[in-house]
Amino acid sequence: MVLIATLTAIALTLARQTEWSLFFSDLARTSLLLVWTTLTITATLCLLRSRLNRFSVAGASILTFTAVIIVITAVSEIIYWIGTTYSSPNMPVTYSWFPQNHWYFLSSNIVVGIIMTGLALRYFYVSHQRQRNIESEARTRIHALQARIRPHFLFNSMNTIAELTRTNPKAAEIAVENLSDLFRASLADSHKLVSLAQELEITRVYQDMEQQRLGERLVVKWQLNGLPQQARIPSLTLQPLLENAIYHGVEPLPDVGVVEIEGRRKGNMIYLSVRNQLPIRKYQSEAGNQIALENIRERLELAFGSSASLSRAIDQTHYQVSIAFPVKE
Amino acid sequence: MTTRVLIADDEALARSRMRRLLEELTEYEVIGEAASGSEALQMSMSGSPDVILLDIRMPGMGGIETARHLSALDDGPAVIFTTAFDSYAIEAFDSHAIGYLLKPVRREKLERALRFAAQLAHPQLEALVNDPEQPVTRSNICARRGESLHLIPLEDILYFQADQKYITVRHRLGEDLIDEPLKELDREFADQFIRIHRNTLVAMKWIERMEKTPDGQYEIWLRDCAEPLPVSRRHVTAVKASIKKCI
Repeated sequence: MVLIATLTAIALTLARQTEWSLFFSDLARTSLLLVWTTLTITATLCLLRSRLNRFSVAGASILTFTAVIIVITAVSEIIYWIGTTYSSPNMPVTYSWFPQNHWYFLSSNIVVGIIMTGLALRYFYVSHQRQRNIESEARTRIHALQARIRPHFLFNSMNTIAELTRTNPKAAEIAVENLSDLFRASLADSHKLVSLAQELEITRVYQDMEQQRLGERLVVKWQLNGLPQQARIPSLTLQPLLENAIYHGVEPLPDVGVVEIEGRRKGNMIYLSVRNQLPIRKYQSEAGNQIALENIRERLELAFGSSASLSRAIDQTHYQVSIAFPVKE
Repeated sequence: MTTRVLIADDEALARSRMRRLLEELTEYEVIGEAASGSEALQMSMSGSPDVILLDIRMPGMGGIETARHLSALDDGPAVIFTTAFDSYAIEAFDSHAIGYLLKPVRREKLERALRFAAQLAHPQLEALVNDPEQPVTRSNICARRGESLHLIPLEDILYFQADQKYITVRHRLGEDLIDEPLKELDREFADQFIRIHRNTLVAMKWIERMEKTPDGQYEIWLRDCAEPLPVSRRHVTAVKASIKKCI
Protein backbone atom coordinates (compact mmCIF):
# COMPACT_ATOMS: atom_id res chain seq x y z
CA MET A 1 0.00 0.00 0.00
CA VAL A 2 2.79 2.41 0.95
CA LEU A 3 4.57 1.51 -2.27
CA ILE A 4 1.46 2.21 -4.33
CA ALA A 5 0.99 5.52 -2.51
CA THR A 6 4.58 6.61 -3.11
CA LEU A 7 4.52 5.65 -6.77
CA THR A 8 1.25 7.51 -7.22
CA ALA A 9 2.81 10.54 -5.54
CA ILE A 10 5.78 10.46 -7.93
CA ALA A 11 3.48 10.14 -10.93
CA LEU A 12 1.26 13.01 -9.78
CA THR A 13 4.19 15.27 -9.06
CA LEU A 14 5.87 14.54 -12.38
CA ALA A 15 2.69 15.40 -14.18
CA ARG A 16 2.19 18.60 -12.24
CA GLN A 17 5.61 20.22 -12.03
CA THR A 18 7.47 21.49 -15.03
CA GLU A 19 10.85 22.09 -13.34
CA TRP A 20 13.10 19.77 -11.36
CA SER A 21 13.71 22.55 -8.84
CA LEU A 22 10.15 22.35 -7.69
CA PHE A 23 9.88 18.59 -8.02
CA PHE A 24 11.27 17.42 -4.66
CA SER A 25 9.46 19.77 -2.39
CA ASP A 26 6.24 19.04 -4.25
CA LEU A 27 6.92 15.31 -4.08
CA ALA A 28 7.56 15.45 -0.35
CA ARG A 29 4.33 17.34 0.16
CA THR A 30 2.27 15.06 -2.09
CA SER A 31 3.62 11.80 -0.73
CA LEU A 32 3.17 12.98 2.84
CA LEU A 33 -0.47 13.55 2.12
CA LEU A 34 -0.89 10.31 0.15
CA VAL A 35 0.96 8.04 2.54
CA TRP A 36 -1.00 9.34 5.48
CA THR A 37 -4.28 8.97 3.64
CA THR A 38 -3.42 5.48 2.43
CA LEU A 39 -2.33 4.26 5.84
CA THR A 40 -5.46 5.61 7.46
CA ILE A 41 -7.65 4.02 4.81
CA THR A 42 -5.84 0.69 5.16
CA ALA A 43 -6.23 0.76 8.94
CA THR A 44 -9.92 1.63 8.62
CA LEU A 45 -10.58 -1.14 6.12
CA CYS A 46 -8.70 -3.62 8.30
CA LEU A 47 -10.94 -2.72 11.21
CA LEU A 48 -14.02 -3.06 9.02
CA ARG A 49 -12.84 -6.30 7.46
CA SER A 50 -15.06 -8.69 9.38
CA ARG A 51 -18.09 -6.54 8.59
CA LEU A 52 -17.17 -6.15 4.92
CA ASN A 53 -16.96 -9.92 4.59
CA ARG A 54 -20.67 -10.17 5.22
CA PHE A 55 -21.55 -8.06 2.18
CA SER A 56 -21.70 -9.00 -1.46
CA VAL A 57 -18.96 -7.74 -3.78
CA ALA A 58 -21.05 -4.73 -4.79
CA GLY A 59 -22.08 -3.91 -1.23
CA ALA A 60 -18.54 -4.21 0.06
CA SER A 61 -17.28 -1.98 -2.75
CA ILE A 62 -19.81 0.76 -1.99
CA LEU A 63 -18.91 0.56 1.69
CA THR A 64 -15.21 0.78 0.84
CA PHE A 65 -15.77 3.87 -1.34
CA THR A 66 -17.74 5.52 1.46
CA ALA A 67 -15.02 4.75 3.97
CA VAL A 68 -12.38 6.10 1.59
CA ILE A 69 -14.28 9.36 1.04
CA ILE A 70 -14.80 9.86 4.77
CA VAL A 71 -11.16 9.18 5.57
CA ILE A 72 -9.89 11.44 2.77
CA THR A 73 -12.16 14.24 3.90
CA ALA A 74 -10.98 13.87 7.47
CA VAL A 75 -7.27 13.73 6.60
CA SER A 76 -7.56 16.63 4.14
CA GLU A 77 -9.40 18.74 6.69
CA ILE A 78 -6.77 18.04 9.34
CA ILE A 79 -3.94 18.91 6.96
CA TYR A 80 -5.70 22.06 5.81
CA TRP A 81 -6.26 23.02 9.40
CA ILE A 82 -2.60 22.42 10.30
CA GLY A 83 -1.63 24.38 7.19
CA THR A 84 -3.71 27.45 8.04
CA THR A 85 -2.70 27.37 11.67
CA TYR A 86 1.04 26.88 11.45
CA SER A 87 2.31 28.03 8.07
CA SER A 88 3.78 31.50 7.82
CA PRO A 89 1.56 33.74 5.75
CA ASN A 90 4.43 35.31 3.85
CA MET A 91 5.61 32.11 2.12
CA PRO A 92 5.23 32.11 -1.67
CA VAL A 93 2.27 30.06 -2.79
CA THR A 94 4.24 27.65 -4.94
CA TYR A 95 6.65 26.75 -2.16
CA SER A 96 4.00 26.36 0.44
CA TRP A 97 3.84 22.95 2.10
CA PHE A 98 0.20 23.29 2.79
CA PRO A 99 -2.76 23.80 0.52
CA GLN A 100 -4.19 27.27 0.02
CA ASN A 101 -7.51 26.73 -1.71
CA HIS A 102 -9.69 24.83 0.71
CA TRP A 103 -12.43 23.50 -1.60
CA TYR A 104 -10.22 22.73 -4.51
CA PHE A 105 -7.86 20.81 -2.20
CA LEU A 106 -10.66 18.77 -0.65
CA SER A 107 -12.56 17.94 -3.82
CA SER A 108 -9.48 17.05 -5.87
CA ASN A 109 -8.29 14.75 -3.10
CA ILE A 110 -11.61 12.97 -3.03
CA VAL A 111 -11.66 12.51 -6.81
CA VAL A 112 -8.12 11.14 -6.83
CA GLY A 113 -9.06 8.86 -3.93
CA ILE A 114 -12.10 7.48 -5.73
CA ILE A 115 -10.16 6.81 -8.91
CA MET A 116 -7.32 5.06 -7.07
CA THR A 117 -9.72 3.02 -4.92
CA GLY A 118 -11.58 1.94 -8.03
CA LEU A 119 -8.36 0.79 -9.66
CA ALA A 120 -7.19 -1.01 -6.54
CA LEU A 121 -10.51 -2.77 -5.99
CA ARG A 122 -10.63 -3.89 -9.57
CA TYR A 123 -7.08 -5.20 -9.27
CA PHE A 124 -7.82 -7.15 -6.09
CA TYR A 125 -11.04 -8.49 -7.53
CA VAL A 126 -9.36 -9.81 -10.68
CA SER A 127 -6.43 -11.34 -8.85
CA HIS A 128 -8.74 -12.97 -6.33
CA GLN A 129 -10.87 -14.38 -9.12
CA ARG A 130 -7.74 -15.79 -10.73
CA GLN A 131 -6.67 -17.35 -7.45
CA ARG A 132 -10.09 -18.93 -7.09
CA ASN A 133 -9.97 -20.37 -10.56
CA ILE A 134 -6.60 -21.94 -9.90
CA GLU A 135 -7.85 -23.43 -6.64
CA SER A 136 -11.01 -24.87 -8.08
CA GLU A 137 -9.14 -26.35 -11.01
CA ALA A 138 -6.72 -28.04 -8.63
CA ARG A 139 -9.61 -29.35 -6.56
CA THR A 140 -11.34 -30.85 -9.56
CA ARG A 141 -8.13 -32.56 -10.57
CA ILE A 142 -7.65 -34.04 -7.11
CA HIS A 143 -11.24 -35.23 -7.07
CA ALA A 144 -10.77 -36.91 -10.40
CA LEU A 145 -7.73 -38.74 -9.08
CA GLN A 146 -9.46 -39.82 -5.91
CA ALA A 147 -12.55 -40.95 -7.72
CA ARG A 148 -10.53 -43.53 -9.58
CA ILE A 149 -10.73 -47.07 -8.42
CA ARG A 150 -9.70 -47.50 -4.80
CA PRO A 151 -6.23 -48.88 -4.08
CA HIS A 152 -7.90 -51.13 -1.55
CA PHE A 153 -9.82 -52.77 -4.39
CA LEU A 154 -6.75 -53.03 -6.63
CA PHE A 155 -4.58 -54.82 -4.10
CA ASN A 156 -7.30 -57.12 -2.86
CA SER A 157 -8.00 -58.06 -6.47
CA MET A 158 -4.32 -58.72 -7.03
CA ASN A 159 -4.33 -60.97 -3.98
CA THR A 160 -7.33 -62.83 -5.34
CA ILE A 161 -5.63 -63.28 -8.68
CA ALA A 162 -2.42 -64.49 -6.98
CA GLU A 163 -4.40 -67.30 -5.39
CA LEU A 164 -6.48 -68.09 -8.48
CA THR A 165 -3.39 -68.55 -10.68
CA ARG A 166 -2.70 -71.71 -8.68
CA THR A 167 -6.14 -72.99 -7.89
CA ASN A 168 -8.22 -71.84 -10.85
CA PRO A 169 -6.14 -70.53 -13.77
CA LYS A 170 -9.24 -69.99 -15.92
CA ALA A 171 -10.83 -67.71 -13.34
CA ALA A 172 -7.50 -65.95 -12.88
CA GLU A 173 -7.36 -65.22 -16.61
CA ILE A 174 -10.85 -63.72 -16.56
CA ALA A 175 -9.99 -61.68 -13.49
CA VAL A 176 -6.93 -60.22 -15.22
CA GLU A 177 -9.05 -59.31 -18.25
CA ASN A 178 -11.67 -57.73 -16.04
CA LEU A 179 -9.14 -55.75 -14.08
CA SER A 180 -7.58 -54.51 -17.32
CA ASP A 181 -10.95 -53.30 -18.58
CA LEU A 182 -11.58 -51.46 -15.34
CA PHE A 183 -8.24 -49.76 -15.34
CA ARG A 184 -8.50 -48.83 -18.98
CA ALA A 185 -11.77 -47.12 -18.16
CA SER A 186 -10.37 -45.37 -15.11
CA LEU A 187 -7.28 -44.15 -16.94
CA ALA A 188 -9.36 -42.63 -19.73
CA ASP A 189 -10.35 -38.98 -19.59
CA SER A 190 -12.84 -38.75 -16.75
CA HIS A 191 -14.97 -36.25 -18.64
CA LYS A 192 -15.42 -38.54 -21.61
CA LEU A 193 -18.96 -39.58 -22.36
CA VAL A 194 -19.65 -43.24 -23.09
CA SER A 195 -22.80 -45.07 -23.97
CA LEU A 196 -25.01 -46.29 -21.14
CA ALA A 197 -24.44 -49.84 -22.43
CA GLN A 198 -20.69 -49.42 -21.91
CA GLU A 199 -21.11 -48.03 -18.42
CA LEU A 200 -23.45 -50.86 -17.44
CA GLU A 201 -20.93 -53.32 -18.85
CA ILE A 202 -18.01 -51.91 -16.86
CA THR A 203 -20.14 -51.92 -13.72
CA ARG A 204 -20.91 -55.60 -14.30
CA VAL A 205 -17.23 -56.31 -14.86
CA TYR A 206 -16.51 -54.65 -11.56
CA GLN A 207 -19.22 -56.67 -9.90
CA ASP A 208 -17.63 -59.87 -11.26
CA MET A 209 -14.33 -58.96 -9.66
CA GLU A 210 -15.91 -58.30 -6.30
CA GLN A 211 -18.03 -61.43 -6.58
CA GLN A 212 -14.88 -63.46 -7.03
CA ARG A 213 -13.43 -61.96 -3.87
CA LEU A 214 -16.47 -61.82 -1.61
CA GLY A 215 -18.28 -64.89 -2.88
CA GLU A 216 -21.71 -65.47 -1.38
CA ARG A 217 -21.40 -62.45 0.86
CA LEU A 218 -22.20 -60.19 -2.08
CA VAL A 219 -25.59 -60.16 -3.75
CA VAL A 220 -26.30 -57.55 -6.41
CA LYS A 221 -29.87 -57.23 -7.66
CA TRP A 222 -30.27 -55.49 -10.99
CA GLN A 223 -33.56 -54.02 -12.07
CA LEU A 224 -33.31 -52.16 -15.35
CA ASN A 225 -36.36 -51.12 -17.32
CA GLY A 226 -36.39 -49.60 -20.77
CA LEU A 227 -33.03 -47.86 -20.56
CA PRO A 228 -31.89 -46.41 -23.88
CA GLN A 229 -28.60 -48.24 -24.36
CA GLN A 230 -27.15 -45.56 -26.59
CA ALA A 231 -27.73 -42.65 -24.20
CA ARG A 232 -24.55 -40.85 -23.18
CA ILE A 233 -23.22 -40.86 -19.65
CA PRO A 234 -19.87 -39.71 -18.19
CA SER A 235 -17.54 -42.67 -17.96
CA LEU A 236 -17.40 -44.31 -14.50
CA THR A 237 -20.57 -42.80 -13.08
CA LEU A 238 -22.41 -45.92 -11.98
CA GLN A 239 -19.39 -48.09 -11.18
CA PRO A 240 -18.12 -45.92 -8.28
CA LEU A 241 -21.62 -45.99 -6.77
CA LEU A 242 -21.52 -49.78 -6.70
CA GLU A 243 -17.98 -49.64 -5.37
CA ASN A 244 -19.07 -47.38 -2.52
CA ALA A 245 -22.05 -49.59 -1.77
CA ILE A 246 -19.84 -52.65 -1.53
CA TYR A 247 -17.13 -50.93 0.47
CA HIS A 248 -19.49 -49.36 3.01
CA GLY A 249 -22.51 -51.63 2.85
CA VAL A 250 -21.34 -55.17 2.13
CA GLU A 251 -17.78 -55.65 3.34
CA PRO A 252 -18.51 -54.53 6.92
CA LEU A 253 -21.43 -56.96 7.25
CA PRO A 254 -20.66 -60.32 8.83
CA ASP A 255 -23.00 -62.15 6.48
CA VAL A 256 -24.75 -61.45 3.20
CA GLY A 257 -25.02 -57.87 1.97
CA VAL A 258 -27.48 -56.94 -0.76
CA VAL A 259 -26.99 -54.07 -3.21
CA GLU A 260 -29.90 -53.04 -5.38
CA ILE A 261 -29.26 -51.25 -8.66
CA GLU A 262 -32.29 -49.74 -10.33
CA GLY A 263 -32.55 -48.00 -13.65
CA ARG A 264 -35.51 -46.62 -15.55
CA ARG A 265 -36.47 -44.10 -18.12
CA LYS A 266 -39.18 -41.57 -17.58
CA GLY A 267 -39.86 -39.22 -20.46
CA ASN A 268 -36.61 -37.67 -21.47
CA MET A 269 -34.84 -38.52 -18.22
CA ILE A 270 -32.85 -41.50 -17.06
CA TYR A 271 -32.90 -42.43 -13.37
CA LEU A 272 -30.28 -44.70 -11.83
CA SER A 273 -30.04 -45.59 -8.17
CA VAL A 274 -27.82 -47.76 -6.01
CA ARG A 275 -29.04 -48.85 -2.60
CA ASN A 276 -27.24 -50.73 0.14
CA GLN A 277 -27.82 -51.82 3.72
CA LEU A 278 -26.18 -49.78 6.43
CA PRO A 279 -23.91 -51.62 8.81
CA ILE A 280 -24.75 -50.97 12.47
CA ARG A 281 -21.46 -49.29 13.11
CA LYS A 282 -19.77 -47.02 10.68
CA TYR A 283 -16.65 -48.76 9.56
CA GLN A 284 -14.78 -45.71 8.45
CA SER A 285 -15.37 -42.05 7.97
CA GLU A 286 -17.52 -40.90 5.12
CA ALA A 287 -14.89 -38.60 3.69
CA GLY A 288 -13.81 -40.82 0.80
CA ASN A 289 -17.39 -41.45 -0.17
CA GLN A 290 -18.24 -37.75 -0.21
CA ILE A 291 -15.36 -36.99 -2.54
CA ALA A 292 -16.44 -39.67 -4.97
CA LEU A 293 -20.04 -38.40 -4.96
CA GLU A 294 -18.93 -34.80 -5.39
CA ASN A 295 -16.85 -35.85 -8.35
CA ILE A 296 -19.73 -37.68 -10.02
CA ARG A 297 -21.96 -34.66 -9.42
CA GLU A 298 -19.39 -32.35 -11.02
CA ARG A 299 -19.01 -34.53 -14.07
CA LEU A 300 -22.77 -34.91 -14.52
CA GLU A 301 -23.16 -31.16 -14.31
CA LEU A 302 -20.40 -30.61 -16.81
CA ALA A 303 -22.02 -33.02 -19.25
CA PHE A 304 -25.69 -32.07 -18.84
CA GLY A 305 -25.80 -28.76 -16.98
CA SER A 306 -28.43 -28.22 -14.35
CA SER A 307 -30.83 -30.83 -15.71
CA ALA A 308 -28.71 -33.59 -14.16
CA SER A 309 -28.77 -34.26 -10.44
CA LEU A 310 -27.37 -36.51 -7.75
CA SER A 311 -29.05 -37.08 -4.41
CA ARG A 312 -28.53 -39.20 -1.34
CA ALA A 313 -31.11 -40.68 0.98
CA ILE A 314 -30.25 -42.28 4.31
CA ASP A 315 -32.69 -43.97 6.67
CA GLN A 316 -32.23 -46.30 9.63
CA THR A 317 -31.31 -49.31 7.58
CA HIS A 318 -30.41 -48.23 4.06
CA TYR A 319 -28.30 -45.81 2.11
CA GLN A 320 -29.24 -44.82 -1.40
CA VAL A 321 -27.65 -42.66 -4.05
CA SER A 322 -29.74 -41.63 -7.05
CA ILE A 323 -28.71 -39.87 -10.21
CA ALA A 324 -30.88 -38.40 -12.91
CA PHE A 325 -29.81 -37.07 -16.29
CA PRO A 326 -31.41 -36.34 -19.64
CA VAL A 327 -31.25 -38.73 -22.58
CA LYS A 328 -28.63 -37.51 -25.01
CA GLU A 329 -27.71 -39.74 -27.89
CA MET B 1 9.64 -77.39 16.69
CA THR B 2 7.00 -75.94 14.44
CA THR B 3 5.36 -72.58 14.95
CA ARG B 4 1.61 -72.73 15.14
CA VAL B 5 -0.11 -70.10 13.00
CA LEU B 6 -3.71 -68.90 12.90
CA ILE B 7 -5.00 -67.12 9.79
CA ALA B 8 -7.72 -64.50 10.19
CA ASP B 9 -9.21 -62.96 7.05
CA ASP B 10 -12.77 -62.50 5.89
CA GLU B 11 -11.98 -63.41 2.28
CA ALA B 12 -11.80 -67.13 1.54
CA LEU B 13 -9.31 -66.76 -1.30
CA ALA B 14 -7.03 -64.58 0.79
CA ARG B 15 -7.05 -67.24 3.52
CA SER B 16 -6.34 -70.08 1.16
CA ARG B 17 -3.44 -68.20 -0.42
CA MET B 18 -1.94 -67.56 2.99
CA ARG B 19 -2.38 -71.20 3.94
CA ARG B 20 -0.70 -72.34 0.74
CA LEU B 21 2.25 -70.00 1.32
CA LEU B 22 2.63 -71.26 4.88
CA GLU B 23 2.48 -74.87 3.78
CA GLU B 24 5.35 -74.23 1.42
CA LEU B 25 7.42 -73.15 4.41
CA THR B 26 8.41 -76.17 6.47
CA GLU B 27 8.58 -75.01 10.04
CA TYR B 28 5.04 -73.59 10.24
CA GLU B 29 1.77 -75.28 10.91
CA VAL B 30 -1.62 -73.71 10.19
CA ILE B 31 -3.89 -74.52 13.11
CA GLY B 32 -6.98 -72.85 11.71
CA GLU B 33 -8.66 -70.19 9.63
CA ALA B 34 -10.92 -67.56 11.15
CA ALA B 35 -13.30 -65.50 9.03
CA SER B 36 -13.95 -62.75 11.55
CA GLY B 37 -12.40 -61.01 14.51
CA SER B 38 -14.50 -62.78 17.09
CA GLU B 39 -13.78 -66.16 15.51
CA ALA B 40 -10.09 -65.33 15.63
CA LEU B 41 -10.40 -64.55 19.31
CA GLN B 42 -12.18 -67.82 20.09
CA MET B 43 -9.68 -69.84 18.11
CA SER B 44 -6.82 -68.10 19.86
CA MET B 45 -8.26 -69.25 23.15
CA SER B 46 -8.90 -72.82 22.09
CA GLY B 47 -5.98 -73.44 19.74
CA SER B 48 -3.32 -71.27 21.43
CA PRO B 49 -1.42 -70.35 18.28
CA ASP B 50 2.06 -68.82 18.50
CA VAL B 51 1.36 -66.32 15.75
CA ILE B 52 -1.79 -64.87 14.24
CA LEU B 53 -1.95 -63.32 10.78
CA LEU B 54 -4.68 -60.78 11.27
CA ASP B 55 -6.46 -58.87 8.51
CA ILE B 56 -7.27 -55.28 9.44
CA ARG B 57 -10.55 -54.87 7.61
CA MET B 58 -12.95 -57.54 8.73
CA PRO B 59 -16.69 -57.24 9.27
CA GLY B 60 -17.94 -56.78 12.80
CA MET B 61 -14.76 -56.55 14.75
CA GLY B 62 -11.75 -55.37 12.74
CA GLY B 63 -8.18 -56.57 13.14
CA ILE B 64 -6.98 -53.76 15.34
CA GLU B 65 -9.74 -54.21 17.86
CA THR B 66 -9.22 -57.96 17.80
CA ALA B 67 -5.54 -57.38 18.52
CA ARG B 68 -6.50 -55.29 21.46
CA HIS B 69 -8.49 -58.14 22.99
CA LEU B 70 -5.69 -60.56 22.15
CA SER B 71 -3.16 -58.39 23.90
CA ALA B 72 -5.15 -58.82 27.10
CA LEU B 73 -4.78 -62.62 27.00
CA ASP B 74 -2.11 -63.99 29.30
CA ASP B 75 -0.56 -66.18 26.69
CA GLY B 76 -1.83 -64.54 23.52
CA PRO B 77 -0.23 -65.03 20.11
CA ALA B 78 2.20 -62.68 18.44
CA VAL B 79 0.27 -60.56 15.95
CA ILE B 80 1.19 -59.81 12.36
CA PHE B 81 -1.33 -57.56 10.65
CA THR B 82 -2.19 -58.05 7.01
CA THR B 83 -3.81 -55.48 4.78
CA ALA B 84 -4.30 -54.69 1.13
CA PHE B 85 -4.15 -50.96 1.61
CA ASP B 86 -4.53 -48.96 4.74
CA SER B 87 -2.16 -46.03 4.91
CA TYR B 88 -3.41 -44.78 8.26
CA ALA B 89 -2.89 -48.06 10.10
CA ILE B 90 0.47 -48.68 8.47
CA GLU B 91 1.76 -45.41 9.82
CA ALA B 92 0.83 -46.54 13.31
CA PHE B 93 2.46 -49.96 12.85
CA ASP B 94 5.66 -48.37 11.64
CA SER B 95 5.80 -46.04 14.59
CA HIS B 96 5.42 -48.94 17.02
CA ALA B 97 7.59 -51.46 15.17
CA ILE B 98 4.67 -53.83 14.74
CA GLY B 99 4.81 -56.51 12.08
CA TYR B 100 2.52 -56.16 9.08
CA LEU B 101 2.29 -57.60 5.61
CA LEU B 102 0.87 -56.05 2.48
CA LYS B 103 -1.35 -58.22 0.34
CA PRO B 104 -0.59 -59.85 -2.02
CA VAL B 105 2.07 -61.12 0.36
CA ARG B 106 5.43 -62.33 -0.93
CA ARG B 107 6.69 -65.56 0.48
CA GLU B 108 10.05 -64.10 1.56
CA LYS B 109 8.35 -61.26 3.37
CA LEU B 110 5.99 -63.64 5.11
CA GLU B 111 8.93 -65.78 6.20
CA ARG B 112 10.83 -62.80 7.53
CA ALA B 113 7.81 -61.41 9.38
CA LEU B 114 7.14 -64.80 11.00
CA ARG B 115 10.74 -65.18 12.11
CA PHE B 116 10.68 -61.68 13.51
CA ALA B 117 7.32 -62.19 15.21
CA ALA B 118 8.68 -65.07 17.27
CA GLN B 119 11.07 -62.68 18.97
CA LEU B 120 8.85 -59.78 19.74
CA ALA B 121 5.27 -59.66 20.65
CA HIS B 122 3.37 -58.04 23.38
CA PRO B 123 5.13 -54.85 24.43
CA GLN B 124 4.78 -53.35 20.96
CA LEU B 125 1.17 -54.33 20.64
CA GLU B 126 0.35 -52.87 24.02
CA ALA B 127 2.08 -49.68 23.06
CA LEU B 128 -0.10 -49.50 19.94
CA VAL B 129 -3.40 -50.13 21.66
CA ASN B 130 -2.57 -47.69 24.42
CA ASP B 131 -1.26 -45.00 22.11
CA PRO B 132 -3.30 -41.88 22.89
CA GLU B 133 -2.67 -40.62 19.37
CA GLN B 134 -4.31 -43.66 17.80
CA PRO B 135 -7.18 -44.39 20.12
CA VAL B 136 -8.70 -47.81 19.58
CA THR B 137 -12.16 -47.61 21.05
CA ARG B 138 -13.46 -51.11 21.39
CA SER B 139 -16.89 -51.97 20.09
CA ASN B 140 -17.01 -55.06 22.29
CA ILE B 141 -15.95 -55.94 25.81
CA CYS B 142 -14.30 -59.28 26.20
CA ALA B 143 -15.25 -61.35 29.24
CA ARG B 144 -13.94 -64.73 30.21
CA ARG B 145 -16.39 -67.44 31.22
CA GLY B 146 -14.42 -70.42 32.37
CA GLU B 147 -12.31 -71.47 29.43
CA SER B 148 -14.05 -69.46 26.75
CA LEU B 149 -14.20 -65.79 25.85
CA HIS B 150 -17.39 -63.86 25.35
CA LEU B 151 -17.69 -60.67 23.44
CA ILE B 152 -20.30 -58.27 24.75
CA PRO B 153 -21.28 -55.60 22.22
CA LEU B 154 -20.80 -52.18 23.74
CA GLU B 155 -24.30 -51.08 22.72
CA ASP B 156 -25.79 -53.85 24.88
CA ILE B 157 -24.02 -52.76 28.04
CA LEU B 158 -26.12 -50.95 30.66
CA TYR B 159 -23.45 -50.23 33.22
CA PHE B 160 -20.09 -51.13 34.70
CA GLN B 161 -19.85 -51.47 38.46
CA ALA B 162 -16.62 -51.98 40.37
CA ASP B 163 -16.44 -54.40 43.29
CA GLN B 164 -13.39 -54.93 45.38
CA LYS B 165 -11.55 -56.92 42.79
CA TYR B 166 -13.54 -57.16 39.59
CA ILE B 167 -15.90 -55.11 37.53
CA THR B 168 -19.41 -56.30 36.93
CA VAL B 169 -20.61 -55.68 33.39
CA ARG B 170 -24.37 -55.54 33.36
CA HIS B 171 -25.72 -56.08 29.84
CA ARG B 172 -28.99 -57.01 28.23
CA LEU B 173 -28.38 -60.73 28.51
CA GLY B 174 -27.04 -60.82 32.05
CA GLU B 175 -23.87 -60.08 33.89
CA ASP B 176 -20.20 -60.81 33.44
CA LEU B 177 -17.06 -60.08 35.38
CA ILE B 178 -14.05 -58.41 33.84
CA ASP B 179 -10.71 -57.46 35.22
CA GLU B 180 -10.02 -53.92 34.07
CA PRO B 181 -9.66 -50.66 35.93
CA LEU B 182 -12.85 -48.59 35.89
CA LYS B 183 -10.75 -45.51 35.26
CA GLU B 184 -9.56 -46.91 31.94
CA LEU B 185 -13.10 -47.79 30.87
CA ASP B 186 -14.22 -44.31 31.80
CA ARG B 187 -11.52 -42.77 29.64
CA GLU B 188 -12.07 -45.05 26.67
CA PHE B 189 -15.85 -44.73 26.52
CA ALA B 190 -16.22 -41.18 27.77
CA ASP B 191 -18.49 -40.28 24.86
CA GLN B 192 -21.05 -43.00 25.65
CA PHE B 193 -20.78 -43.67 29.37
CA ILE B 194 -21.04 -41.37 32.33
CA ARG B 195 -19.71 -41.75 35.86
CA ILE B 196 -22.59 -41.56 38.35
CA HIS B 197 -20.77 -42.89 41.37
CA ARG B 198 -17.23 -43.63 42.50
CA ASN B 199 -17.76 -47.23 41.40
CA THR B 200 -20.35 -46.96 38.59
CA LEU B 201 -20.29 -46.05 34.90
CA VAL B 202 -23.64 -45.90 33.14
CA ALA B 203 -24.43 -46.00 29.42
CA MET B 204 -26.09 -42.71 28.57
CA LYS B 205 -28.36 -44.22 25.96
CA TRP B 206 -29.99 -46.54 28.51
CA ILE B 207 -30.77 -43.85 31.06
CA GLU B 208 -34.50 -43.46 31.53
CA ARG B 209 -34.78 -40.94 34.36
CA MET B 210 -33.17 -39.62 37.50
CA GLU B 211 -35.20 -39.37 40.71
CA LYS B 212 -34.75 -37.94 44.16
CA THR B 213 -35.62 -40.36 46.97
CA PRO B 214 -37.40 -39.14 50.16
CA ASP B 215 -34.09 -39.15 52.04
CA GLY B 216 -32.52 -36.74 49.57
CA GLN B 217 -30.51 -39.28 47.57
CA TYR B 218 -30.53 -39.33 43.78
CA GLU B 219 -31.11 -42.51 41.80
CA ILE B 220 -30.89 -43.37 38.14
CA TRP B 221 -33.33 -45.72 36.46
CA LEU B 222 -32.24 -47.55 33.35
CA ARG B 223 -34.41 -49.09 30.70
CA ASP B 224 -34.48 -52.91 30.94
CA CYS B 225 -33.18 -52.73 34.50
CA ALA B 226 -35.42 -53.25 37.51
CA GLU B 227 -33.07 -51.79 40.09
CA PRO B 228 -32.17 -48.13 40.34
CA LEU B 229 -28.52 -47.14 40.74
CA PRO B 230 -27.44 -44.61 43.37
CA VAL B 231 -25.96 -41.36 42.13
CA SER B 232 -23.34 -39.93 44.44
CA ARG B 233 -23.67 -36.34 45.57
CA ARG B 234 -20.61 -35.05 43.77
CA HIS B 235 -21.75 -36.44 40.40
CA VAL B 236 -25.34 -35.16 40.49
CA THR B 237 -24.72 -31.89 38.63
CA ALA B 238 -22.70 -33.48 35.86
CA VAL B 239 -25.24 -36.27 35.42
CA LYS B 240 -28.12 -33.80 35.27
CA ALA B 241 -26.33 -31.76 32.64
CA SER B 242 -25.63 -34.71 30.41
CA ILE B 243 -29.16 -36.09 30.72
CA LYS B 244 -30.43 -32.71 29.62
CA LYS B 245 -28.02 -32.73 26.68
CA CYS B 246 -29.16 -36.17 25.62
CA ILE B 247 -32.82 -35.21 25.63
